[in-house]
Formats: sequence, structure tokens, C-alpha cells
Amino acid sequence: MNAPDMVVDGRGLEPPEPMERVVAALDVLQPGQRIRFLIHRQPYPLYDLLSRYHYRYETAPLAEGGFEVLISASS
Amino acid sequence: MNAPGLSFEQAPPFSVPLRFFLTAPWFLVLAAALLLWEGPGIFASRWLPAALALTHLFVLGFMAHVMLGALLQILPVVVGVTVPRPGLTATLIHLPLTLGTLALAGAFLGGGPIGFQIASGLLSLGFGVALAAFHLAVWRAPVVTDTVIALRCALGALLITVILGLLLGGYFGWGRLSLPILSLTNLHAAWGLAGWTTLLVAGVAYQVVPMFQMTLPYSQRLSQWFAPLMVALLIAESVLILADWKAMAIWVGAALAVGLSIFAIKTLILLNRRQRKIGDPTLIYWRVSMVSLLASAALWLLTPLVPGWAQAPHLEWLIGIMLIFGFAIAVINGMLYKIVPFLAWFHLQAQLLGQRKPPNMKRLLPETHIRQQFLAYLTALLLLLTAALYPAWFLYPAALALGITGAWLGINLFSVWRIYRRTLREDR
Repeated sequence: MNAPDMVVDGRGLEPPEPMERVVAALDVLQPGQRIRFLIHRQPYPLYDLLSRYHYRYETAPLAEGGFEVLISASS
Repeated sequence: MNAPGLSFEQAPPFSVPLRFFLTAPWFLVLAAALLLWEGPGIFASRWLPAALALTHLFVLGFMAHVMLGALLQILPVVVGVTVPRPGLTATLIHLPLTLGTLALAGAFLGGGPIGFQIASGLLSLGFGVALAAFHLAVWRAPVVTDTVIALRCALGALLITVILGLLLGGYFGWGRLSLPILSLTNLHAAWGLAGWTTLLVAGVAYQVVPMFQMTLPYSQRLSQWFAPLMVALLIAESVLILADWKAMAIWVGAALAVGLSIFAIKTLILLNRRQRKIGDPTLIYWRVSMVSLLASAALWLLTPLVPGWAQAPHLEWLIGIMLIFGFAIAVINGMLYKIVPFLAWFHLQAQLLGQRKPPNMKRLLPETHIRQQFLAYLTALLLLLTAALYPAWFLYPAALALGITGAWLGINLFSVWRIYRRTLREDR
């Protein structure tokens, strides 16, 4: 069974702290595990980083405002 | 689902914007040297050649360098369109802009027609490449946000500023044109400051004020309409001035000043209601900038109303110093402290991911360094304003303070780059 999703809540934090937290989570991400990253605005620079290192990500708007980015290692 | 059409994977290399940011502060030092060289006489009139050289060291040497360099960086993220061949494009903008600014200042200081010819050639190349690249990007934006609207207006105003500037440069360089020089010079300044500069600051402010200062967003009514209305007013003002309808032109000029005041007041209100208690070191730059914008707009409004003010040369200097050094240079100085450490951190992070943690932003540029340089900046601003009123006493201290704040900014930014280089070298 895969490890449960890691949740990183970057909402309301001053840049680049949300990104620093995601990067710290990437370091301990297990194969098959996902990061659920909650953020108050589109994290464009993070997308750049994720695609350079071939992570997969999907962004969806949250009902209460902000976005959820689901990050996983590409298989 | 990802936002439609935005291409995030295209951040240009660090060297693309950095060269502009590392060059710009040294033009403040050059401006200080010019003040020292010319002495108190420079404040006799803003039309003196040395005064025009000084103005262009500020607006081209410092402001345009940072503004164009920053656009190369932010367009892919904010607009979602990349500038092709970013390294080559940056070189074709940066080199002619740097040399063209020096040539123009030299031309004003006695270079004669040949100086204006060289400056016009270099600046038309640098701005031509920038205008082509940036207009192509902003008019193809897949999603038209309020920032994109403001950037389109700002770049439209830059186009007109550059055309007017080249007409004036052509007049001094070749002299065969018959032009209303005073009117064109006033319009060149109005489009450059109330158009290009203010609208670019506004477009960027819609994004970075809520993001870094943790404020509520600007009201949509303001962020949608401010830039287009300012452009409409500038067009009306241009037609009225060229048709010599002076009375009407004063009213439209007043409406422009009201527009600037509204943006300044709105930003100050947002900053006062910010959600975070701890003051960000760049917050004070935003406050000084917006207070200066408001003060210059108020002086501009009052000038036609108070008898004798319209003829007083020091009043034009006060408005100019507040708009250029108080408003634009303050906000640019403050934003450089956000952009440069962030980009250094980001590019280190991108190269070291999974191997090592890069130094955090506060280690790349300690807050005390920012706060100390701010005090030097504020001293320079107050001394320059005082020097406009009492040049004989205050010009030399003002020039020294200007040189110190410029060099300090340059050293602070350079030190970020040095840590960046050292961190990468340790990796090998």
C-alpha cells in the first residue's frame, strides 16, 4: 500500500516559504506517495521547478479560494 | 487542471535579468558625480543641458534598466508568453541601453550633434528590440488579466515616449526638423512618467503588493480601469498641447494628477490594513514611494492655482525629484530587494534540488543591509528636495548621499550574486 498523502499548507505564508516547505517535502517523498500542497495563489515558479525534475503535478481550485496542487514522482 | 496556456517552464537564466539589475545602481553613482561636478548652478532650471543629462541618468540609467530587465523575467510568469532567445534579446537590449544612456548624457554635456546621433542610434536599437519583444508577448497573452491590461498600456506609453525621445534626439542630432521642442519635451516626460513608469508600477503592484505585503487585493474597478483611463487622459493631453489649447490642457493635466493620487492613496490604504504585523523591510520603500507620488501630484495640482508658482523653477525640480527619485526609484529599489534574492534562491534551488539546501533568502541578503541602505536612500531624498530649494548649502551633501545610496544598493545586490556563485562552486 502507498504511504498516505503528505499535506503541505502554504496558505497565508510569505513567499518563498510555501515553496521552501514543498521542496522539503519532495526530499522525503516516497515512491507512489503524493504531496497535497494548499496555496492561496498559483505557484508558477514551483511548476517550473517541478517540471525540471520531472515531477507530475495537477492543480485544482479549492472551493474556499486558493488552489490544491497534487504532486507525485513520475513513474 | 492547469491554468490554460500558461507556460511555466520557461523562466529565463539568472544572467538575463541580473545584468540589468547589477548595472542600474551605478548610474545613481554617476548621477551623483555629475551633481558634484556641476555644482549648485544645475538647479537654476530643469532645461539646462546638465539637468537633462542628470534626468536621463536617473530615468534611463537606473529606471529603464531595471524595468526592462524585470519585464524579461516576469513576462513568462505573469503573461504566460516567453520572449524568444532570452539571452540574445537581453544582450541586444542591455548593451545599447547602457552605452546609449552614457552617450546621451555625454551629448547633453557637450558632445554636440554627433553625440545625439550616436545616442539616438543606440537607444533606438535597445528600445526597438525591447518594444518588439514585449509588445509581441503582451498582445498574445492567452489570459487577459488586469496586470496584462496595465502592461499593454505601459508598453504603449513606452512606445510613444521613445518616439518622442527619438524626435527630440533627431532634432539635436540632425537639426533639419522643425518641431515644437518645448511641447514635445513636456509630452515626452508626461508619457514616460505618468504613462510608462506609473502604469508598469501599477501592473506589477496588483500582483506583488498582495503577495509580499500580505494585503487584500486591489479593487477590481481600480485595477481594470486605472491604466486605460490614464492612457486616454495622456492622449487627450497630447492633442490639447499640440493644438495649443492651454486652458483645456491644464484641466486634463489636473485629471492626470488626480489619477496618480487615487492609485497612491489606494495603495497606502491597502498597506495600512495589511494582515501581517511584522514589517517587511521593503514595506517602507512602498510607503515612501506612494507618499512621494501623492505629494508630487498635489504640487502639480496646486501649481496653476497659486500665483507665481508656475514660474518658479524650483517647484518643477521638487515635482521632478519627488516623481523620479521619491516615487519611481524608491519602489524600484525596494522591489530589487525582493527580486534579486528570490531569483538567486530559486536558481540555486533548481540546480541543487535533492543534493543540498541552498542558503535561505535572509542569508543571501540580510535585512539589516536593506534597512541601512534605506536610511541612506531617505537621507538622499530629503537632501535632494532641500537642495532644490537651497542649492548653495545642500547640493554637495545631497550629491554625496545620492552616491552613497547608489553604491550601497549596487554592493548589496552584487553580494547576493557573489554568494550565488560561491554556492554553485562548492557544488563542483
